[in-house]
Amino acid sequence: MTAPPERRKRSPLRRPAGPPGKLRRRIGTTARLLAALIVVGGLYTAFSPGMQATADDEVVLSPAAAEGKQLFETSCISCHGRNAQGVPDRGPSLIGVGSAAVEFQVGTGRMPLTSQGAQAERKTPQFTLDQARQIGAYIQALGDGPELPLPGEDLGKGGDVAHGGELFRVNCSSCHAFGAGGGALSSGKSAPTLEESTDREIYAAMLTGPSSMPVFGDNQLTPDEKRDIIAYIQNLQTDPDPGGWGLGRVGPVPEGLAIFLIGMVAIVFTTLWIAGKS
Amino acid sequence: MTTVHTHDADAGGGASGVENFDVNDASLNRFDLVREGARRDGVEIVHYAPRFPAPGTKAEKRVERSIALLLTLSGLLGFGFVAAYIWWPFHYEAGANPSKLYTPLLGLGLGGSLFLLGAAIILWAKKLLPDEIAVQDRHDGASPRDEQALTGATMLNLVDETGIRRRPLLKAAFLLPAGALGLAAVAPLVGALIKNPNSPEPILLNTGWNPKNNNGNKVRLTREDGTPIRPEDVSVGGQMTVFPGIPHGATNVWADSPVLLIQLREADAQRLRGSIALAMANDPESRPVEGMWGNFVAYSKICTHAGCPASLYEQQTNRLLCPCHQSQFLITDQAKPIFGPATRRLPMLPLELEDGLFVAKSDFLEAIGPAYWERP
Amino acid sequence: MTPAKTNRRRRLDLAKVPEATAQGIDERFQVATPLRRVFNKVFPDHWSFMLGEIALYSFITLLLTGTFLALFFDPSMAETTYDGSYAPLRGIEMSKAYETSLNISFDVRGGLIMRQMHHWAALLFMAAIVIHMFRIFFTGAFRKPRELNWIIGLSLFWLGLTEGFAGYSLPDDALSGTGLRIADAIVLSIPLVGSWVATSLFGGEFPATEILPRLYILHVFLVPGIILALIVVHIGLVVKQKHTQWPGPGRTNHNVVGIRMFPGFAAKGGGFFMIVFGVIALLGGLLQINPIWLFGPYKTAVVSAGSQPDWYVMFLDGSTRLMPAWDIHIPLGDGYTIPAIFWPTLVLPGLLTVLPMLYPFIEARLRRDKQAHHLLQRPRDVPARTALGAMAIGFYLVLVLSGANDVIAEAFDISLNATTWAGRIGILLVPPIAYYLTYRICLGLQQHDREVLVHGVETGIIRRLPDGRFMEVHQPLAPADAHGHGALDYAGAPVPKKMNRLGAIAPAVRGFFFPIEKPATPALPPAATPVSPAVPPQQLEDAGTQQH
Repeated sequence: MTAPPERRKRSPLRRPAGPPGKLRRRIGTTARLLAALIVVGGLYTAFSPGMQATADDEVVLSPAAAEGKQLFETSCISCHGRNAQGVPDRGPSLIGVGSAAVEFQVGTGRMPLTSQGAQAERKTPQFTLDQARQIGAYIQALGDGPELPLPGEDLGKGGDVAHGGELFRVNCSSCHAFGAGGGALSSGKSAPTLEESTDREIYAAMLTGPSSMPVFGDNQLTPDEKRDIIAYIQNLQTDPDPGGWGLGRVGPVPEGLAIFLIGMVAIVFTTLWIAGKS
Repeated sequence: MTTVHTHDADAGGGASGVENFDVNDASLNRFDLVREGARRDGVEIVHYAPRFPAPGTKAEKRVERSIALLLTLSGLLGFGFVAAYIWWPFHYEAGANPSKLYTPLLGLGLGGSLFLLGAAIILWAKKLLPDEIAVQDRHDGASPRDEQALTGATMLNLVDETGIRRRPLLKAAFLLPAGALGLAAVAPLVGALIKNPNSPEPILLNTGWNPKNNNGNKVRLTREDGTPIRPEDVSVGGQMTVFPGIPHGATNVWADSPVLLIQLREADAQRLRGSIALAMANDPESRPVEGMWGNFVAYSKICTHAGCPASLYEQQTNRLLCPCHQSQFLITDQAKPIFGPATRRLPMLPLELEDGLFVAKSDFLEAIGPAYWERP
Repeated sequence: MTPAKTNRRRRLDLAKVPEATAQGIDERFQVATPLRRVFNKVFPDHWSFMLGEIALYSFITLLLTGTFLALFFDPSMAETTYDGSYAPLRGIEMSKAYETSLNISFDVRGGLIMRQMHHWAALLFMAAIVIHMFRIFFTGAFRKPRELNWIIGLSLFWLGLTEGFAGYSLPDDALSGTGLRIADAIVLSIPLVGSWVATSLFGGEFPATEILPRLYILHVFLVPGIILALIVVHIGLVVKQKHTQWPGPGRTNHNVVGIRMFPGFAAKGGGFFMIVFGVIALLGGLLQINPIWLFGPYKTAVVSAGSQPDWYVMFLDGSTRLMPAWDIHIPLGDGYTIPAIFWPTLVLPGLLTVLPMLYPFIEARLRRDKQAHHLLQRPRDVPARTALGAMAIGFYLVLVLSGANDVIAEAFDISLNATTWAGRIGILLVPPIAYYLTYRICLGLQQHDREVLVHGVETGIIRRLPDGRFMEVHQPLAPADAHGHGALDYAGAPVPKKMNRLGAIAPAVRGFFFPIEKPATPALPPAATPVSPAVPPQQLEDAGTQQH
């Protein structure tokens, strides 16, 4: 049950280093509390099945979930309704979506939605990761759903990069592209780049299938396989290109641009110099 | 420039230069010989002047120094390339480390060296070689009439000499080996390459899901590593690329067999069932397949347009997008193409459960992949 | 050419060695005259005449780097397990072709830069061919007697495209395989014989195990051999027919004005080769191209978003993307199909090969022009042709952009479906608009040229006439008549439009980024600057003679 200090090293451009000590401790506390909550919640569900659905108000909320409830009621309730039961034409019910979905949607800034579009886009989060997890705890308490494994931020540690790469190419690259830079989908939708995605976000996305993305449940891709995939994506994110500047790893399109805008332009300028008056 | 015009007067003169030019005349300098040689080649050097009329000026020295500097830098970079080539670590190593600089260093060394050498040579040519304008005659147009007539006669005589016109027997007989050897030249190429797509069996119609590839047993759906698939392995709104459970089923040997197994949401599955039922009743021409198992459906992953794997499954809209040419198929309407260049539905693989594991009820009921002339 | 007279024994005189060698060679081969001819050959000097050279030098670079790569590459499609130094692929099943490509990239000393230089050189080769072709077209250099060379040039484009596609396919990475899969679909679409041709080419059902070795022999032997032969003929014809030149003082249809092959032209050419080679090496070292290790080995179920061919094939990919879903069904017997993909991938390239090849003859027929032409035309002077070329470029660009429409949609956040529709509409609208605009621009430029020839160059000097009107003083280019109009005819050469072009005022400061030398002083002191008003003209009768 440790805090997340062991985030793998990234280039400083990508994202500021881990949260400061105080915050870290707080996350640690939250994590511990969450874990406790799961144990308690699990026991509770085991002993009293069917209780939750009928008596929302009787759900025993952990302190984190209670905090989350507060946040939910200030920012999410307008679309997702009281007790996250959904509002027709505005937002779906969140009962049973699980904490992983909440952490992904809120943690990447996709929720709260600012405008209706083809799909929710990543933007600067309105809530801290802590708060996102608190809301997640609340939603989880309302109805069981996919959860992220706790604890830790580095979910790819010890993964088999080669195997992960194989799985990535079969399952992920068709939409997110071989360089994990994302790609277009039909009618304005798109698969986002994974360049700035954290391990937990990737894990949560596989688990919950946000937006257009299919669900990759634990039966299809075991937690070990998910770890391998994350290890491969980490490798993509951190391994510098061996052949010089990678041109965004997008493939032949920027290469074609480069040969004209850099190669041809440089050479044609030389021809002007060669044939110019001396 | 002014002298150019004067030259035109004797431009038509051809290869001869000044009359009675004596090569051994001691009073001629070397350039006089050069000029005379050029004249004999139909080239008049009409302007020829040193770049720096007074040798050793500051300007000239400056040019010399620039060229020398470029050459020196070029040489140093060239040596740098060789040194890096030999001593810099070149094997791939994960992470940020010197090996990642190997290729950029080689590029800088070699490219820089070549570029500067080129620049030095051009600078030399532009700044130090004498400024010249030369005019060469262009002997365009056809050869003289006489020449044409002589050559034409020679060629026609060739035919006469063989007497082929007078000897129809030989003419006819000659066609025989000519034709035979012509065919013989083509035969090895065509004969060795040609391969009948329908013999011994129509390979374009047979995929790995055909039970005859599995000793007559129905073929299981498996993952890439060969493990069979249970319904609970695919989440609702999830998709999985599956392969026939036969030897090499997941390799390129069975390139026509990859299939996308999808578990639809209840409402979407209803829609698809409705679409199939409707087609069964009203439009059997479209060859609908009753191949769903529960809310599961499996479609060939090979795009009916150009054969790429159509595998960008959008679970909310139930569209399947092919990344090569952007054809879009609507899963809930039997994978009907709704956008892009594809014209046909993706073939459905009929599903069944055996011992709790997915199997293919039969092979695809139509040819998968791109269309062709005689495709049934 | 006189044989050596002396036969007496003498000691080795080092200073005489070159002469003696030359003598010996000439006695055997009689090269003195033809050799001097080569040395004295005159080439015109213009930057646009060097575009074809870029393609030639890229091709030489391709031969050099390609030979290196061939030493380490194995086109076999046999399965093997990777065990090289690139950890993220270790233990993965792949073909020998892909494995050896990875080894070249990671375990052969200098292999990666060779691969990257080879690929960049290929892109540059094709880019130079296309740009060179534009230059030939827009200046009318394809006219008689150069029709054959135009046809050879077009053939070189298609051969280069074939060669490039084969090379793109060889590493057997996921992108190569995807390209081959599409090639298979294209071959399958040929009416009547498609399935036979496809199985015969691939040696079975796609992908089988034959295609890479076959493409390899095409890529390293057959196609480059043909390209090399055609390049030799192409350049041989340029030498034989002599290069075209721009109109200008002293330049006629019957001469070539320029510099001799040696030393000036050869030095510039050699230096330019080093520059092109250097740019390719810099690109190869500093810009990563075709990172096959990220694509992974080709598996039929694997694909990546944004799968594209190299840029020179992209226009065909674009035409395929734009093609509406129109299969043609022939209801005979069991029913036959002409797939939609047949039109944009086989019929379109066929048209794009044949029509341009016939263009020189069509244009000559339409203009009833049987003359030989060695003087180039300025694009503005042939508005119909220039507009037609702009139309073709517009058509081509829409196709290229459509070939990248998914990347454009992703990069600029546009709907993918909208980009496809934009392409479908654009392919119909852009060419006629390009034609119209180019035609008008050409006419406008022509008119301005005539105007300057008649009225003279604008001097920027405003004078107030005695009656109070203001007028700008024009500098006539030739002695002007009583109305102040010049008597020069347009000669197909650029018309000077600025005073410094006439040498009347100081030339513009030289240097690209900063002045490299002090501006020269004006040819005439300011007081005597030959600026004269268009009216009255009598003061400076000889003003316009300066530039002649």
